[in-house]
Formats: sequence, C-alpha cells, structure tokens
Amino acid sequence: MSKADVLQGTLDLMVLKTLDSLGPLHGYGIAQRLLQVSDSALQLNQGTLYPALLRLEQRGWIASKWGTSENNRRARFYSLTRTGRRQLQREAEDWQRMAGIMARVLGGQEDAP
Amino acid sequence: MTLRELLARLAGALGRGRGDDELSTELSFHLEMLEAQHRARGLDPAAARRAARLDLGADAPIAEAWRDQRGLPPVDTFVQDVRYGSRMLRRTPGFTLAALLTLAIGIGANTAMFSVVDAVLLRPLPYPEPERLVAIGDRTADGQASSVGFATVLDWRERSRAIESFAMMRAWLPTLVTNGEAERLPAVRVSANYFDMMGVRPALGRGFTADDDRPEHWRVVLLSDALWRRRFNADPSIVGRTITMNDRAFRVVGVMPAGFEPLDAERFYNTSAELWAPIGYALGGDSSCRRCQHLRGFARVRRGVSLADASVEMNAIREQMRREHPSEYEAGSIAVVPLRDALTGNVRGALLVLLAAVGFVLLIACANVANLLLARAVTRRRELALRAVLGASRGRIVRQLLTESLLLAGGGAVAGVLLAAASLEAVAALAPVTLPRMSHIAIDARVLAFTAGLTILTSLIFGLVPAWREGRASAPRTLAVDSRGSVGGRSRAQAVLVVADLVLALVLLAGAGLMLRTVRAVVQTNPGFNPDRILALSFSLVGQAYAEDSAVVAFQERALQQLRALPGVDAVTLAGQVPFGGNGDCRGFHASGRMKPNPVDDPCIERYGVTPDYWGLMGIPVLAGRTFTEADTAAAQPVLVISESTARQVWGGDSPLGAQVRMGNSERGPWRTVVGVVADVHHDDLTASPAPAMYTPQTQFTDSFLVALVKSATLDPATLVAPVRAVFRSLDPSVPIYDVATLPELVAKSSAERQFVMRLLAAFAAVAVFLAAIGLYGVVSHGVAQRTREVGVRVALGAQRRDVLALVLAGGARLVAAGVAAGMAAAALATRSLGTLVFGVSPLDPLTFGAAAVMLTVVALGAHILPIRRALRIDPAAALRSE
Repeated sequence: MSKADVLQGTLDLMVLKTLDSLGPLHGYGIAQRLLQVSDSALQLNQGTLYPALLRLEQRGWIASKWGTSENNRRARFYSLTRTGRRQLQREAEDWQRMAGIMARVLGGQEDAP
Repeated sequence: MTLRELLARLAGALGRGRGDDELSTELSFHLEMLEAQHRARGLDPAAARRAARLDLGADAPIAEAWRDQRGLPPVDTFVQDVRYGSRMLRRTPGFTLAALLTLAIGIGANTAMFSVVDAVLLRPLPYPEPERLVAIGDRTADGQASSVGFATVLDWRERSRAIESFAMMRAWLPTLVTNGEAERLPAVRVSANYFDMMGVRPALGRGFTADDDRPEHWRVVLLSDALWRRRFNADPSIVGRTITMNDRAFRVVGVMPAGFEPLDAERFYNTSAELWAPIGYALGGDSSCRRCQHLRGFARVRRGVSLADASVEMNAIREQMRREHPSEYEAGSIAVVPLRDALTGNVRGALLVLLAAVGFVLLIACANVANLLLARAVTRRRELALRAVLGASRGRIVRQLLTESLLLAGGGAVAGVLLAAASLEAVAALAPVTLPRMSHIAIDARVLAFTAGLTILTSLIFGLVPAWREGRASAPRTLAVDSRGSVGGRSRAQAVLVVADLVLALVLLAGAGLMLRTVRAVVQTNPGFNPDRILALSFSLVGQAYAEDSAVVAFQERALQQLRALPGVDAVTLAGQVPFGGNGDCRGFHASGRMKPNPVDDPCIERYGVTPDYWGLMGIPVLAGRTFTEADTAAAQPVLVISESTARQVWGGDSPLGAQVRMGNSERGPWRTVVGVVADVHHDDLTASPAPAMYTPQTQFTDSFLVALVKSATLDPATLVAPVRAVFRSLDPSVPIYDVATLPELVAKSSAERQFVMRLLAAFAAVAVFLAAIGLYGVVSHGVAQRTREVGVRVALGAQRRDVLALVLAGGARLVAAGVAAGMAAAALATRSLGTLVFGVSPLDPLTFGAAAVMLTVVALGAHILPIRRALRIDPAAALRSE
C-alpha cells in the first residue's frame, strides 16, 4: 500500500483502536502511531485527522481535554469514552467479518479458471 | 448524522464549544513536535521548520475542513454572510441610513395597516365555528340582510333543513335606575336560543330558556361583564336579584363573560349591547304579523352545508311562503351573509383600498432601495470580483448580496414595527367610530408574523435584481475592466425602477385627490337644514310615571318652557329622532283616494314626531300650507306635515293640502289631514337622496324617546350642556340624558368613513411622492456624477450654462414623462377600485388627474435642482484631470 487516502470509516476505527491501546494521546501522537504501525505507509493528512477527531468527539466516542505534553507544552489529549469502547468493539467485529468475506471472495476468484 | 452530532454541530455553528483558537493552538503544538523530530534527526533549525511545515500542510485548508466539521455549513455561511454584510453596511452609513429609513416607512405603514385589516376583517370571530354563523334576512339594495318578521322566522325554523338554528334580535333601550342614578342602557332583546346559537355561555348564572321567551315571562335579563362591574360592583350575588328598569322589575339570571363580544347588528353610537332580555313574543301578538319586519335574523348553518346551499334552500322556502301568503310578502330574495361580512359591512372596501395603497408605498420603497443598491454596486464591483477570483462561486456571491438585503430589510422592519406601534393610535383616532372590532387592533404575534413574511418578501423584491446583476458582473475578468466601462445596463435598470416609482406615486395621488374631492362634495351637500349652533341631547320618558301620553306631553311642555328661559337660548324644540340618527320608524302611508288596489303596496314613509318650533329652529323651508301650532292638541283634528318628495311621490303635481291620510293601517286609526309641505332633509347619509318623510305633532303622536334641540345665536352650544342637564334634573332626576352632541358633529360623522380613507390615502400619497422624488434624485445625481467628464469636455469646448442644464434635464425629463404617462393609465385602471367610496366626482375626473400629474411633475423637477447645481459647478480642468 502506498501513501494513500484513508477511507473515512477506517480512519475512525484506527483512531479508536489507537486510543484503546495507548490511552490518552494528542493529535501528533495519534499521527505518529499510525505512521509507525503502518511502516510509514499511512502519512495522514492533518486536514483529515483533526476533523475526524472532532467528529468522533461530537458523536461522543472520544473525549478531549487540555493537558501538558512530554515536552511541557499545552496539548489537547484525546481519550476513549465508554460508548467509544463499545463502538470500537462493534466496528472491529464488523471489520473482521467483512475482511473475512473479502478474503474468501478474493481467494475464490484466484481459483477460477 | 445522529441527533447528538447535530446538536453539537449546531452549538458549533452558533459559536459555542471549541473555537478556531483552540485548533490553532493544537496545530502549532503539532508543528512544534514535528520540528523537534526533524531536529533530532540532525536538521538545522531552519530546515527542520521547513520540513515540519511540509509535513503538516497549510493551516488554512485544515482549518477549513475542521470548521466544516464543527458547524452546520448552511448556518455557518449565513452567520458569516451576516457578519460580513453588517460590516459592509456599516462602512457606507449614508446609504445604509437612507435604505433603512425608506424601508422603515414602507414596512411600518404596511404593518400598521395590516393590524387594522387583521383585526377588522381577518381574525376569526370569537365564537365556536364562526364560519357557520350568518346574518339572514330579506336582501337590501346593497346585498346585505335586513330585518325579518317574527312569524316568518318561526316558519323558517320549521321548514329549513340546511340551518341548525335561527335566532332573532331587536334593539332595546331600557332605563336603569340604581341609587337614584338613571342611565339608558344599550340593550337587545333576543330569542332564547341566541346565546346557544353563538356558542357562548354566561360566566355567572344561566342563559335564557324557552320558558323565559314568552310574553308573560320575558322580564329576565343577562348583564354584560362591564355593566355588572360598573353598576353592581361585580357583586357575585347579583344572580337572582331584581333590578328596576322602566319602572318594572327584572330578574337577573346571569352575567356574560368579560371577553364576550355581542353581535351588534344595531350599533348604539359608540357602544355595544350591555344587557340582554328575551324577545317574549308569541304568534298572534301585536308584533308577530308577517309584515312587521323589525327583527334582525341570525343563524347557524348545519355542519357540512355550504352557505350557497343554505341560500338556495332559504330562497326556495321564501318562494313557497310567498305563494302561501301572497299579500304578506313581496317579490325579492333572502340574503345569507357570513356573519363577519354582516358586521364589517362596507368598511371592507375602504380597508382593502387602503391596504392596496400602502402596498404601493412599500413597492416604491423597494424600488428605491434597489436603486440605491445598484448605485452602490459600482463601488463594490472590485471587491466582489476579488472574492470571485478567490474562489467564491456566483451562487455564493448572490447569496451574500441577498443576505445583505435581508439585513437591511430586517433593520427596516424593526424600525417599521416601532413606527407602526407609535402610529397605531393616530390611525385609530382617524378611524370612524363605525369601524367594528376597533378595540382588537394591536401589534401582536399575528401581525409580527405578517411583518416577518413581508420583510423576507421585501428583501427579495429589492435585492434580487441587483444581486443577480452583480453576481453575473463579478466574473473574474471584470477585475481587469474599469468599473465605468459597463454602466449602461445598470442605468437602464435604475430608469425602469424610477419610472415604476413615479407610476405608483401618481396612482396614489390620483386616488387621494378623488377622495379629497369626494369629501368636499359630501361636506358641501346641503343636509336640508342648518346645523349651526344647535345642541342635541337625547332623553327618554318611560316607566309608570309616563305611562299616559298626557304625562309625557305635560313633561315636554314644562321642559320647553324652562329651557327657553335659560339665558342665551334662542329656540328649543323636541323631536322623536336625532337628526342624522337615521330613522327606524317607517309606516304605511295610505292617502284617501290615492291608495293602491292592495293597500299593502302603498309606500312606507318615515315618520318624525316634532313640536311646533321644529322647522323654524332647524331652518327647514316650509313650501306650502302651515306647520304645527299650539292649537294642534291631542283633542284637535289630527294633522300631518309631509316632505316635498312625499308629496311628489303620492300626489304627483297635485296639491296634497287638505288630503286625508291613514298611517300604518289602512282600515283603522284616525284620518290625518295634510296641512303643510316642507323641504326634503337628509336624515342619514348625505350621499343618498333624501328619503320621503312625514311629521306628526308630539301632542297627537307622542314619542317617549326624545331629543331636545337647543339653539343659541350667541353661545357656543357646548356650553349649554350643563344648564340643560340641570333643567332636566330639576324636572325629574330619574330621566336619563344621553347622546349629547352638536349638530355639526353629527353631520360630520356621516362622512367619517370617507374622511378616514381620504386622510390615510393623502398621507400614503405624500410618502409615495416623497420617496419617488428621492429615487429620481438618486438617478439624476448619479447620472451627473457619471457624466462629469463629458460635461467638463463640453464646457471646455464652450457649452453654455443652459446647454449643461438641458443635458441634465434631458435624461430626467424623459423618465418623468414616461412615469406620468404610464401613471395616468395605471391610475385610470386603479381608481375604479374606489367604487362607492367616490361621490360627486367621476373616478376618471380630468381635473384630479391633471392636478396629480402636474404636482408629480413639479416635485420630480424639484428633484433635479441639486444635481443641476452640481453639474453647473463642474470645473472642466478638474473634471479632465480626474481621469
């Protein structure tokens, strides 16, 4: 996968999962983490990340508050809420199922003559 | 979008929650971290900053995307447009003020007028299902329902399927005495089902029952809330108590609720009914004959039946009854009139004319503001083109311009509503007292909703043309073009708008002129008597003490004697009717030897009971024979004086003197000898021809409701009120005095409605002409500004002052000529809508039209004065240099 635009739904899921695994993070931290786990394949457009964070917050899946960063700067930290965690679980399951279906469908195609 | 998200976005749009500042703090932190990361990789600070910048991307698109997520885009753009728009408006205070003022006048006048129309014509009547209530009766000349007879209504009740209930009503003026204080009350007697039909219950006690509504039982009354408070201190124990009226005991059975609005088919001067009693008729009684038409009929149509169907059925029933009683009913028809129309009557036409006129004023205001917007567009063209270059779509720019229009209209509306609230009292003061439901006129939620709708409509009317034009003109390439390069189209649009201004103003001027001439014609109409210096006071002699006619006559004589003795009083007379109070006493006129084969077909002539001095005091010429003298006593031969038109109608060219006439009944009653003929007198409406009349002496036909007419050559009649009242108090303190007025006042009242229309139309026309002049001034002065260079060149080449003058006038004069010509045509069409309001002048009166055209032309030329002065002062050198 090259540096690609991220599907909106998948970005939401990735942000939720990131916050689930690492706990409260600021926007920079989230972007770094996604870059890291994707072996630099996911270079996030910040014009996508920040609106996504706001959207998740508006839906009540994440909460945010100002805090102090590791280098002693004011930064906004995002954390998963209880509904966010439920949402993550639901979406992750959906995604797994969908990924399984896709794998089967694509695998089946390989079998065809 | 979930509800939660929607609410969060709405909060964001309205500026609450996280703001742009927080985002930029967040982004600069992000940038700093990226920078630190690059520095850690060994880049120098400047390179690290550049690299971090590249990683993060430009702030603006991020913020834009974030903002899109934060709020609701349509609300956001609107809020932005409003902010931007108000900034733009503040930057051009002169323009903004002129537009706001114009709109405030236009919208304010409409708001005030609509509040009147709404209260009088539109608002549902305060009864359950008011659309099913109708006035019903034989049709009058103007299509309204007039009186009906008791027996007739009983037959209707039996035969009609379409109508659920019929109720009857008649005016009644009892005198109530409490604690020695006499007051004549405006009251009505109604059939027992009256309140049930209207769907209103008493607040205290009970309504009338069928048992109350019988000849021997009818002395029970219901009080209005106001009367109960005024005369009985809101005493809750009033129900069941007995009150005395006309020397008889009446039992109070209930009190009506405070907000109850009685049906005032008979209006008692300025007040409505305050007391109700049952009619108490029975078939076979004196008043139950089929030809005794003196009751007002009301009905509630059955649910689901249309008024048209009810009308068809009632007319079929009328035909049926006419076949059964051919001598009792004449050919004719029945009017089933919606109750509101019956109550608002002819005021409707006047109000609609005024509403249309005030609409014209608003249209003129719109045209002017559109013109101002077009003129301002020159200075804004570069700004708009710049926005277009920066990526604003045409729709976006049109929306921005319309938002500004809405802002202007909204500001105008707020000022207009304040203006309307302030002027409402003045309008009400101008209104004739006959305007029904006046007390309901107010600026309330309904009126404000109307104003809000009007404001949006207004902003579209004046905003659309300039917005569309500028939206188109703001194409990016305009940026390169000099703004002066493309003024042709706009000037044309401005010219069209100014011509529209002039046309509308001329229509209003012509309408106001016609009403002015109408009022003059009415005022100049000779009422047939001379009202100068005469005071009228009504009083009534009822009850046990005045049961006998002789007692009434004796009181009259004592009163005449004492009133004549008052200092300053020159003449006194007593009559049964107030001049200009109308006449309800119409009787069959059966002249011996001149009766129709069926005496029922003899004319019905209005009767007036008077004392001998009547004609002298009123200045009514005696044309033949004599008038009454002291010798015409109750014991003497009954005599009659008739009016000129009565003589003409019954006797043609022959002399009626000495003729014998029976009044009312052709077979019974005394023969009365005609002893004199007097000139005709208007007793009601000056614009209608005087009705035939007959006069009887008070001694021979005694009225118990009377009016004292007192004339003084030296004193202001108003100063006589107190001494005259004192005379009556000394004669009998229980005699109530009411309806005190001078005769000129009463005569003036008869043209009150037309005066009301005239004054408002004149006010609207003045505003219209003023606005049109301002609009014209704007265009002409704009034209001069545009042509500064041209004028400069011409002057440099030797043009004289008068050439410059001609140049400036040429443009404006064409507009004025076009406006006046089109305005004349439009006025000719529009003044027809004045209909019956116009009297004594043709709706196409050339004099009025000519005067309106001249007046408008003069004002229009006046609008040229300032631009001409400016043009004359143009210095050729400066004009050329300025390029």
